[in-house]
Amino acid sequence: MTAREVIELIKKNGGVPFNERSYRDTFKAGNPDDTVKGIATTMMVTWDMLKRAHAAGLNLVISHEDTWWNDRDDVKDLTDNPLYKLKNEWIAKNGMIIWRDHDHMHAMKPDFTVVGSLRSIGIKGGENDTMAPRIHTIPETTLGELAAQVKRVSGIRAFRCVGDPKARVSKILLGPGYATPRMTAEADVVIGGEQQEADGGFDNVEYVRDAASLGMPKGVIMLGHVVSEQPGMEDYAKWMRTFIPDIPIQFVPAEEPFW
Amino acid sequence: MELSRRRFALVAGSASVTQLGLAGAEPLTAEVVVRRVQAELGGDWAAAGADGFKAGDPATVVKGIATTSMATLDVLKQVAKANANLVLTYEPTFYGRGDGRAAAPGGGRGPGGVSADDPVFKAKNEFIEKNGLVVFRLRDHWQARKDNDMVTGLAAALGWSAHRVKTDDALYDISPATAQATVDLIRTKLNLRAGLRAVGDRKATVRRVLLHPGAMTPATMWQRYSTVDLIVAGEVREWENTFYAADIFTAGDKRALVTVGRVVSEDPGMRACADWLKTVVKEVPATWIGAGDPYWRPTA
Repeated sequence: MTAREVIELIKKNGGVPFNERSYRDTFKAGNPDDTVKGIATTMMVTWDMLKRAHAAGLNLVISHEDTWWNDRDDVKDLTDNPLYKLKNEWIAKNGMIIWRDHDHMHAMKPDFTVVGSLRSIGIKGGENDTMAPRIHTIPETTLGELAAQVKRVSGIRAFRCVGDPKARVSKILLGPGYATPRMTAEADVVIGGEQQEADGGFDNVEYVRDAASLGMPKGVIMLGHVVSEQPGMEDYAKWMRTFIPDIPIQFVPAEEPFW
Repeated sequence: MELSRRRFALVAGSASVTQLGLAGAEPLTAEVVVRRVQAELGGDWAAAGADGFKAGDPATVVKGIATTSMATLDVLKQVAKANANLVLTYEPTFYGRGDGRAAAPGGGRGPGGVSADDPVFKAKNEFIEKNGLVVFRLRDHWQARKDNDMVTGLAAALGWSAHRVKTDDALYDISPATAQATVDLIRTKLNLRAGLRAVGDRKATVRRVLLHPGAMTPATMWQRYSTVDLIVAGEVREWENTFYAADIFTAGDKRALVTVGRVVSEDPGMRACADWLKTVVKEVPATWIGAGDPYWRPTA
């Protein structure tokens, strides 16, 4: 089976219309007509992840995020960049093929990035969640204990919390990746991947700082972009095995980059 | 339309205050201070720009000026305690680019802006009103200043002022140390908690550093990263600059990227702003109030 044929099967089995005009959901490197030996699903096409996929005998990488360090995977300013040249040559030499599934994946029901994110931090009941964020009510706890649970269950190192650790919280609003939802009147804690810290559409960090200063029980937990969405790529690999039973499919996580 | 009406009210307000003041001496209102700052900094102060009055009455007579990277409620409480009443803030006061007044695109998901009956927004406004504070955003014109105090301020906070390579760039040649040791020094000097995140080679020897307060774009990263040992930035997008640094690490390059938090990276530059203000407005004291690192993470 060729990479192109694999992608056609993904589009056919996704259960939602595939937007052929998406600039995100396209081949990013390699020859789509090469034969697929094995498939790696991941959150980000880091070079480190590519090397591990290659070592495992997998030559098609399906990633939720980009390869060339910008959302559009636009390489026009990178053609003379030494790192781009090295990584690109390595990809070509090793016959790797890269395809991105971003917009299509967020349109799917459920949205695996949301399902995986909730599961990875120990919040139950999100098995059918979609891209539209909704409140998850957990037994009342403190923001500090919730953060400790996130650390314990997910193993994420470099996440960041804002708000009073003693604040009593139970209503969680989660949006992984860069889709961190804005704080609402109903939510106690917003959990996201990353968000511009200030001067954006709605600055959660400042809002929660001020709420905490007023003694209102509000919090933000920023998990990190890749780690917040990555568990969903394991679900994606499982899902692919239901319609591609005869090619090895493995979840090959991108590394959490921070010390 | 809205702005021109406000402008008119401003002029009217200033006139009435002037009548109450001593003959010949113009009272030092917030509007007067701002006009002086605008004249000193120069440039075109477009009504539609980010800089401008965000809260309070510009006709208020100024007792003291406070500068900050972000006028959080905690900062405003310290302003009131310090008996200052005019705040110059680098970042927004009301949770986004629109500064509470209108929806703005970008940033997080969901509608931008903040509704007028939001309890946090209301309480902050009430605090400002009750304490007679005036808040003015000073970002574009402060960072456009030729001296670039956002960079020199950060260098001073890190103890690197004497190590600047040339005056028109943000490069510093510091005493060689490992990236790990340099990051530890930055954490201590800027009093950071979980806001600091580093990526790259901990063991790299750091001599040349690029300081970049605020947000750094991928284009800047791609151009500059390989020319230095360490970049110190406020914030970057993880899927762009962070993973560029991660890939360079995989390639075996010995360098590192550390982000300290956007607002924290802008704190020292606004401290420099307070020092500068003392030379422009001598009638009242000018003090700096740091917004600090908002982030923590559990230790256990």
